[in-house]
Amino acid sequence: MAQNSAAEGLDRVFAALSDPTRRAILARLAQGEATVNELVEPFGFSQPTISKHLKVLESAGLVARGKSAQFRPVRLNAAPLAAAAEWLGTYEEFWAESLDRLDDYVKVMQQKEKRHAGKRCGK
Amino acid sequence: MQESAAASEPVSEREVTITRTFDAPARLLFEAYSKPEHIKRWFGPKGWPVTMCEMDFCVGGKFRFAMTGPSGKQNTPFGGEYLDIVPNRKIVYDNGFESEGAGRMVVTVTFDELEGGKTKLTIHTVFESIAMRNSHVSLGFEQGTNSGLDQLAELTADLAARNA
Repeated sequence: MAQNSAAEGLDRVFAALSDPTRRAILARLAQGEATVNELVEPFGFSQPTISKHLKVLESAGLVARGKSAQFRPVRLNAAPLAAAAEWLGTYEEFWAESLDRLDDYVKVMQQKEKRHAGKRCGK
Repeated sequence: MQESAAASEPVSEREVTITRTFDAPARLLFEAYSKPEHIKRWFGPKGWPVTMCEMDFCVGGKFRFAMTGPSGKQNTPFGGEYLDIVPNRKIVYDNGFESEGAGRMVVTVTFDELEGGKTKLTIHTVFESIAMRNSHVSLGFEQGTNSGLDQLAELTADLAARNA
């Protein structure tokens, strides 16, 4: 099953990112570490709710908690995000954008064909 | 191994079909798929150019691509083998990222010519497992997630640039 651990890690990262509150927490932490109380204020959720979201983020490896301080500040751990970077768009998005580009490109190909259509090289 | 477990999962729950109709003949779309100089012009989302493109376009031939994202760092290469090629009609290949634990997918691209010089392109992907499908497609993501993901992509690029 070790072979699957990277994929499972990625699954956890994606599950963690699928919630808007958790994404907002990450965006906040990108500006610097914060205590749970500092996270409770801007989002208007209860402390248990924020703690629950933090647990999800922590299990995905996206945040780390300080051990020593009384308030255990939360900080962003960007490494799993970097690993997820190649997947951040979805599969459908990948193809939607590729096919938009293909649509433009086949027009270029057609133009080229037309330009060459009149030319004869005597073969 | 895992393959037997994945193979027991119904295909209908680990496949994705994407279609698009083009105002172009099938042979041109097929051509766009068949050479690196074409692939580099269209394959991949905006801002993620294909910066490595090796391909031996024949049945049994291998391909290997990599894209470079906004951070400027080349991403993990991906690739596989051309399993079947029917000129101007169909291309079948298997594909996967070259990273530990990354699953495989089998992609069938069909080019169906319609009336009026149009062609319907169908990209049918069968992932190795339901879990792999779900981690790739938007299933399970709520609406409006994309803008959040866009922001995260920017954030990631920003962090990568800062750590570089």
